[in-house]
Amino acid sequence: MDKKIKFNTKNLDLFYGDFQALKSINMEIGEKEVTAFIGPSGCGKSTFLRCLNRMNDLIDGVTIKGEILFDEKDINGDIDVINLRTRVGMVFQKPNPFPMSIYENIAYGPKCQGMKDKTQLDTLVKESLVKAALWEEVKDRLNKSALGLSGGQQQRLCIARTIAMNPEVILMDEPTSALDPIATAKIEDLMSSLKKDFTIIIVTHSMQQAGRISDKTAFFLMGEVIEFNETPIIFTNPNDKRTEDYITGRFG
Amino acid sequence: MSRKIKDNIVKSIIYLATAITLSVLLFILGFIFVKGIGLVNWDFLTRDYNEKVFYAFTQSEEIPMSIDTDTLSKNTPYDDRYETLTEGPIYIENIGAAVSKISYKNYTSEKEQFVISYIEKGSPLLNAKDSTGATINIKTDFILESINGESFENLTLDEVVSIISSQSGDLKIKVVQPGGGIKSNIITTLYMVLISLLVALPIGIFGAIYLTEYAKPGRIVNIIRFAAETLAGIPSIVFGLFGMAFFVVALNLQISLISGSLTVAIILLPVIIRSTEEALKTVPMAFREGSLALGATKLQTIFKVVLPCAVPGIATAVLLSIGRVVGESAALLLTAGTVSQIPGTLFSPGSTLTVQAYYIAKEEGNIELACAIGIVIIVIVIVLNILSRITSDKLDVFNKK
Ligand SMILES: Nc1ncnc2c1ncn2[C@@H]1O[C@H](COP(=O)(O)OP(=O)(O)OP(=O)(O)O)[C@@H](O)[C@H]1O
Ligand SMILES: [Mg+2]
Repeated sequence: MDKKIKFNTKNLDLFYGDFQALKSINMEIGEKEVTAFIGPSGCGKSTFLRCLNRMNDLIDGVTIKGEILFDEKDINGDIDVINLRTRVGMVFQKPNPFPMSIYENIAYGPKCQGMKDKTQLDTLVKESLVKAALWEEVKDRLNKSALGLSGGQQQRLCIARTIAMNPEVILMDEPTSALDPIATAKIEDLMSSLKKDFTIIIVTHSMQQAGRISDKTAFFLMGEVIEFNETPIIFTNPNDKRTEDYITGRFG
Repeated sequence: MSRKIKDNIVKSIIYLATAITLSVLLFILGFIFVKGIGLVNWDFLTRDYNEKVFYAFTQSEEIPMSIDTDTLSKNTPYDDRYETLTEGPIYIENIGAAVSKISYKNYTSEKEQFVISYIEKGSPLLNAKDSTGATINIKTDFILESINGESFENLTLDEVVSIISSQSGDLKIKVVQPGGGIKSNIITTLYMVLISLLVALPIGIFGAIYLTEYAKPGRIVNIIRFAAETLAGIPSIVFGLFGMAFFVVALNLQISLISGSLTVAIILLPVIIRSTEEALKTVPMAFREGSLALGATKLQTIFKVVLPCAVPGIATAVLLSIGRVVGESAALLLTAGTVSQIPGTLFSPGSTLTVQAYYIAKEEGNIELACAIGIVIIVIVIVLNILSRITSDKLDVFNKK
């Protein structure tokens, strides 16, 4: 239990205007682990995830109370958001490759950080695609538009594009919900292999998925974390009655 | 039963309305074409509007004709709609050119002219200079009026030929470059489109970016939007008056290409802002989030991801703008003037096709000529539209799969 703590939230409250979407969340997320968030729709999983790289900044009228410590520094304090987002990458529910070539999609982030060297970029693009298990499928069409890829390939491209930034944490909000079972299986395999390099936090609606890939699981309900523990414990021997109800499908 | 009848009545009203719209449109286009098409030809497009009179200085030189007489008479460039060949052509060796007598009739007057109908290679006319020493590009269909002070007025072709042949050494020939064309108006129109877009596009695009990407929705944005919409609804003559008072008089830019372009640019702004805004709004939020999540700054996100997606919409703005500039007359009448000349600098006046059509119809009462200009305007608008469609398709990031 001497794993390093990557994210540590303390009494985190979040309001959309008057509506409180997150209620006093305290959570420690360990480094190089896969943490899964589960819970019924509208319970605040995405909201919490988006706090971790400050994507909620884009939404008007959001107020945040409490602390989110990332490597012991409060990310809502005096930090550089751009820098935070290069260290905490995000993959979205719907694949959102940019309408550019496959190559440009991956080179985009590094280029925005000022990387110009062509050979350096070439290597980085290849490495990222290899890590995202997409290289074999796209190596002959790097200069074709990314919009021509299948949904599953697009999502792996988005993961590759995030990996290219070499972040410390990758946030994934239901990354497989728009994909078929085969594409989902590929992405789950990918996550298990990424785990040794990155801290992964994933929101999912699939109990099986959480069970298969995560080390720890947090159960959210109505903006609160009801239970947060080792995944096997959550799934076999939960402490809270509500967790058990949700997992066994007896909920609401 | 009665419902069926009602349906049919409504249906026939709809068909009727469509038919009326279509036939009005076709009638107008047909009217313009039938009236004007007779005057549209290469000369019309390439000549200046005003005749130009020169004194051409050159040296006489005996040049034999290299073609036979049959070919020569076929070579005669005259337009039998308003020109009748009365005598000639006759080849004159010492100027190396053939001359015909042509009776020229336009809608107000009729006159007899001596016209160059053929120029031989090496003819001394080809290196004629004007009084300032600049080369005059003498071409066939230029009119000859006198040589070394001897006027050709009321002479026969034979008399003119003998006068010309008797000259030797230095020649001083009075030539007239025929007018009646709209070259300068076409060029002025293209300049006007180019300059006003150059001014209005960046401002409009940046304005739209501010409104959609930066401004917090609220009072100020609403005011700006309201202002843009109001501007779009104001008749252009009002902008013309403003342009005249501000650019022409207050900034002392004179009645000129630049005054006209700036005035039109103001007219274009609301159009460009609005269509660019619409285009930016349709760019999915997911692209912006994806870019920001990769650590791109807001500016990088806008310029590398959002704007390229908005290109088709911006192209629509360009298209609408071109239509506005080409179609604008009231504002330009007051700010760019009605002088049919190719504007030499930004500060010279010039008359666009539309203004020229207005001027010719109103001041000269020549409906046919105005309709001919109308045809050219229609063609230019169509060509520019096709061009911007092609470019926008080429640039459309969603098209390339
Ligand atoms: N931009 C917003 N403005 C106002 N309320 C919001 C906004 N986004 C989310 N909410 C509300 O906050 C609550 C939590 O939303 P959130 O998207 O985090 O849920 P979720 O757990 O991710 O649900 P799902 O599983 O359906 O994705 C919901 O009640 C939602 O209506
Ligand atoms: Mg969600």
